Amino acid sequence: MITLSNLLYRLPGGVAQGLIWGIMALGIYITFRVLSVSDLTVDGSFTTGGAVTIMCILAGVNPILALLISFLVGILTGVVTGLIHTKLKIPAILAGILVQFGLYSINLHIMNMSANVSANPDRFNLLISMRDVPNAILIGIILSIVHIIVLYWYFGTEQGSAIRATGNNNNMALAQGININNMKVIGFGIGNGIVALAGGLMAQYQGFADINMGRGAIVIGLAAIIIGEVVINFIFKKGCSFYTRLASVIIGGIIYYAAMVFILWLRIDSNDLKLFTAIIVTIFLAIPNLNIKKGGKQNVKN
Amino acid sequence: MKKLLTIILTVLLAMTMTACNIGKKEDEKIIIGICQIEAHAALDAATQGFKDALIAEFGKDKLVFIDGNAAGDPATCATICNGFVADGVDMILANSTPALQAAAAATTTIPILGTSVTEYGVALNIENFNGLTGFNVSGTSDLAPLEEQAQMIIDILPDIKTVGILYCSSEANSIYQVKVVKTYLENKGVTVKTFAFTDSNDIYLVTGQAVDECEALYIPTDNKAASSADIIDSVTRPAGVPVFCGEENTCLKCGVASLAINYYDLGVTTGNMAIKLLKGEVKIEEMPIEYFPNPVKKYNKEICEDLNMKMPSEFIPIGE
Repeated sequence: MITLSNLLYRLPGGVAQGLIWGIMALGIYITFRVLSVSDLTVDGSFTTGGAVTIMCILAGVNPILALLISFLVGILTGVVTGLIHTKLKIPAILAGILVQFGLYSINLHIMNMSANVSANPDRFNLLISMRDVPNAILIGIILSIVHIIVLYWYFGTEQGSAIRATGNNNNMALAQGININNMKVIGFGIGNGIVALAGGLMAQYQGFADINMGRGAIVIGLAAIIIGEVVINFIFKKGCSFYTRLASVIIGGIIYYAAMVFILWLRIDSNDLKLFTAIIVTIFLAIPNLNIKKGGKQNVKN
Repeated sequence: MKKLLTIILTVLLAMTMTACNIGKKEDEKIIIGICQIEAHAALDAATQGFKDALIAEFGKDKLVFIDGNAAGDPATCATICNGFVADGVDMILANSTPALQAAAAATTTIPILGTSVTEYGVALNIENFNGLTGFNVSGTSDLAPLEEQAQMIIDILPDIKTVGILYCSSEANSIYQVKVVKTYLENKGVTVKTFAFTDSNDIYLVTGQAVDECEALYIPTDNKAASSADIIDSVTRPAGVPVFCGEENTCLKCGVASLAINYYDLGVTTGNMAIKLLKGEVKIEEMPIEYFPNPVKKYNKEICEDLNMKMPSEFIPIGE
């Protein structure tokens, strides 16, 4: 059963899921890299997105419109984190954890107090589904490109630049007359909006929303960002454009899931799945540091 | 760069070699993918029962089981089921609700048998569900006879005024059971309070609150409660509050009595359905969901002695 062709057949499913998690990682990228804060709201807002999308679809809303509604609700969750952080002066990590905790109950309420709501792909018209993996990949690629273009445009506008400046250097941004608190709140909002939209995509893809579906989303997102950076630094040694950086996040998501498919394909006892995923991500995280060491030696020789 | 190339080539070579070795042997075998949401006693028992039933029928050599355990992550169920479809397995056993949903979303052609799923109609979002899905899904339900369980509490403790129901709010199956038991007990004039915990971290506190407010507790068939049964026991036994369980494995650790279904036997029932399907005796579309046939009244000897409770004679001790 462990044949190469088996792995190749399995990969498309991994790519489709990787694209969805990659889009989610774009949301995390905004807080983690652009704003330079760690936002742990995402474990909750991802589920919120899934829950809102499925409930909307069950109510007969068009699946694309349902995703947009999830996006808006996601923005709301991020704004709450942002306000707790900026107005109540609570550190960002704590603010995120608090909102994530609260979202558990809110998500249950959204799903009518049931832990798991399903939208049967036979009965509902879904944008993206495991039934048709090639189509799911196509939609995933299109949505990724749309996200990258919109984010590229947005972070070139005055407001977007102000958010980047805030992330780069708080004091400098303040001196330029930027309202850094507002910029942080907007950044948290957009980031979580994208995360929730990805949650909606994931729920449609797997055909259900589950109260636990966001568990570990932050880990997957950070892994995707860093794997993408490792790859991009390997290819473009002299730095690259913002476009490429955003695309690298999506690629990181795909590589992460490809690694997971690979682990499952190896038939390692699946109870060890998380350990092996952690090991693979650690290897990726270590690569840039190991490269620096190697580079240093070469310099000495020269 | 050369090194990298060497490594890639070596890995590819190794892969092809394993491919040659294993690929040949497995012709004409029955391949069954098993997707389970997480490891715990009840789900493991169901999987084991399923496997044993099939092995008894076809023999170990003719079967290949691919075990997929999602470690509690619903999205991983999707990855696992995608893998099964890519592998072209002959049948999928979906153990638990998220596994069933992921499998049903992954394929419309490969037969899927569910087990440890309480309500198929709710899980798969089928309107006017009558026991037949009409597509490639069938299986066994772990729905315990809820009203009889509720009656059992009244039979054993006739003077009871308040019963607390302890369950995990992230379990799709539990909420349905809570509603049924609550309605039944309230119709009998018993006050019912519900206590939901979110995970094993707050189960200790929630149980503590429950024993303060109630004379007895009821725990439905709930995966999280089953895996945290020892924590529950550490609160309820010192407080002297008896716990009635919807399921035997939970009762073994923290309960006094249970009108129980046995997950191993449920797995065997599922296995027997699989045998009929694999032999081509029935089509899965025409196979109704099966329930556990004979729930047995059982009690936990050790805990009953600790609480000085006498059980009616028709109850048998767990493990005998």
